[in-house]
Amino acid sequence: MRSYSPVRWLVLIMALVLASCSAAAPAAPVAEKVTIRMWSHQNSAFNKVNQELIDQFMKENPNIEVKYETFPYDQFIQTLQTSMPAGTEADVIEMFGSWVCNYATGGRLQETPAEVMSYTKAQEIFYKAPLDGYYCDGKLYGMPNEYNLEYSGALVNPELYKAAGIAFPPEYKDYNGLIADAKKMSAFSGETMTTAGFHFTGGDALGFIMLGGILEQGGNYFADDGKHFNFESKEALNVISTLTRYAREDKVIDPTLFSGDNGLPGAFFKGQVGIAYIGPWAAGVGLVDYPDVKFEYVALPPMFGSEYKFAADAGWGKVVSANTKHSKEAWMLQNYLTINRANALKFNQISGTVPALKELVDNPAEILAVAPYMQPILKLLPHGQYLGNVTDRDQLFYEIIAKNLTDALNGTMTPEQAAAKMNAEANAMVDSKASK
Amino acid sequence: MASPGSLRRSQRRFAFSVMTPIMIYLMIFSLLPMIWAVILGFFDYSPARVGGTIFGLGESNPFVGIRNYLDMFSDSQPATVFRKSVSNTFLFTFLILPLNLAITLPLAIIIERSHARVKGFFRAVYFLPTVTSAVAVALIWGAIYNPQAGLLNSMIRTIGMTPPKAWLSDPQAFVFGIPLAMVALIVAHLWQDFGYNLVIFIAALQGIPQNLRDAAMVDGANEQQMFWYVTLPLLQPTLLFVCVMTILSSLQMFILAQVMTAGGPREQTTTMLMSIYSNAFRYQNMGWAAAMSMVLFGIIMLFTIVQFRFLRSDWEY
Repeated sequence: MRSYSPVRWLVLIMALVLASCSAAAPAAPVAEKVTIRMWSHQNSAFNKVNQELIDQFMKENPNIEVKYETFPYDQFIQTLQTSMPAGTEADVIEMFGSWVCNYATGGRLQETPAEVMSYTKAQEIFYKAPLDGYYCDGKLYGMPNEYNLEYSGALVNPELYKAAGIAFPPEYKDYNGLIADAKKMSAFSGETMTTAGFHFTGGDALGFIMLGGILEQGGNYFADDGKHFNFESKEALNVISTLTRYAREDKVIDPTLFSGDNGLPGAFFKGQVGIAYIGPWAAGVGLVDYPDVKFEYVALPPMFGSEYKFAADAGWGKVVSANTKHSKEAWMLQNYLTINRANALKFNQISGTVPALKELVDNPAEILAVAPYMQPILKLLPHGQYLGNVTDRDQLFYEIIAKNLTDALNGTMTPEQAAAKMNAEANAMVDSKASK
Repeated sequence: MASPGSLRRSQRRFAFSVMTPIMIYLMIFSLLPMIWAVILGFFDYSPARVGGTIFGLGESNPFVGIRNYLDMFSDSQPATVFRKSVSNTFLFTFLILPLNLAITLPLAIIIERSHARVKGFFRAVYFLPTVTSAVAVALIWGAIYNPQAGLLNSMIRTIGMTPPKAWLSDPQAFVFGIPLAMVALIVAHLWQDFGYNLVIFIAALQGIPQNLRDAAMVDGANEQQMFWYVTLPLLQPTLLFVCVMTILSSLQMFILAQVMTAGGPREQTTTMLMSIYSNAFRYQNMGWAAAMSMVLFGIIMLFTIVQFRFLRSDWEY
């Protein structure tokens, strides 16, 4: 009888395993019904409305089956990164606008076909700030559902206003009045701050205050070449110095204590913050997760000067994978979810997000009926511009701007030192990515 | 006829039939990813870019040679954070190891000598944190350290002392030059981890033959001498195992730091694994992250070899 050596056994089994892995799936029978997949991160409101709209889409298009799959946020990013090289990602993906160009220029996304939407047409119906996140190297890749706004809006706590004897709801004309109120609401136990009058030290808030503050003063955070940064301008230094004054002299926030677990929006809803600088999404969270907490969402004045001018992330939207085998059906679904007025409205109503479609803001009654807290900030939307190509958004915001600004607020660096370090680190990031 | 000690054909066949599946499993899920990580370390690879035709390498994911490794010595922000994470990881590891041994070994001796019922109870109590989810442990300790409503600060205030401003988020607080946040993290990690070593030491102590102790006693050895000249030398293989495992787990510290401090304040608690994770999955610099993971691999390998060299024993009892 013929014997098999160990090596032969190994080769045989390996061959079987590999064959089972790589064997082409039997050719799909030519059927009328097409199945496509859509992926998004797990967020109960987002998932609920997406599922409803997908069910509606399948009813209207019985030849298309849509499988909707969701992942926890961190796992979603990892799954995208591992599935795209393998070509196993979904046909339609719900993506955050500020990620889109990274994937699009890497060849992972399909350009929006001209018959679906041109950039010129898209500019007419979408706000520029969210749309431009989907416009990369002169090409449009998908469309936004959301205008991601983190600028000049705040949650305010009526009980703390009342306790401090301040009229509520507040209507601030400038930051002098706001800081004066915040000082009255700040409270201490010994040297430990127990209530922050004005909380603005979240990672996103610091980034958007920094960039918006520079723009409000007529400056630019980009250097002349449009790729590097300029955080040592007099406008940038003014932003850092002003925020440092609020923290160290006016004592309206202690960034050491109000971070991590005591960050936003948690600290606000625990009643530890008078005015919390945060996007309107936090009001939506509050209504759902803290139904017993009383609060209002208000627009704040520009921090510098009298005109609103700010940078914004492009919010959540839908894109189509470059690997899709059902391009036509995928774009039909993408279109259905983002451009169709009724569906876009439903998405914003249920998810509590600010509309990216101008039409929904021009006639705001429907969106305000379910999200009245958005009313104060809708007037700000035309003043926003897309963040631009900042090389690595998260690294810039969380690792560079927030950390150096916090050092200035803590007093471990002077505003000048913080500006210089921020500038050096941001430009090193640009050079490092460009040189590889 | 088969030579003595060698396997018969049927035995060989059986051995290979049971070994092959696990070897294939290890090859696919351990060896291939390791080889892939080595390769990625030489590329500026991001999964967001399509790249060349062979596994996405080349073109928009270009070959950069040892550039990723050289960049670790540059002044760039990611390189600075990485170097900081290496020093944090070493600091954490070299504090954890002696502290862990200083707690577990004496405690194991005490428990081993106690009554059987008490022994079982304490062994279970001390082992409980080890089997508790690390995320849950991190959340519990985060609440204990809370500067405004935390249990620890309340206790400190009750005895009339002033607690630190913030245990986990004050970048200016140090204890003997060690960041306070790192100290807080070490305490939480020790609490969670020491039960594992304790159980191993108790088992090893129970395995030491009583006749060796009796002989030492007959020779007039006191308790201290018995510990230093009988118990400790006989525990050497266990000590090696415990040291290796503690160092390995400390070098791979991730969950507690991620949940309790997110690496802050000012990267004072950022560990190597956190730096690798954020670069790979948050910033999508997979090539750079792979190079960092190779450095971590080298460090772990070096530690393990050195420990085996110095702590191994050539005898059994």
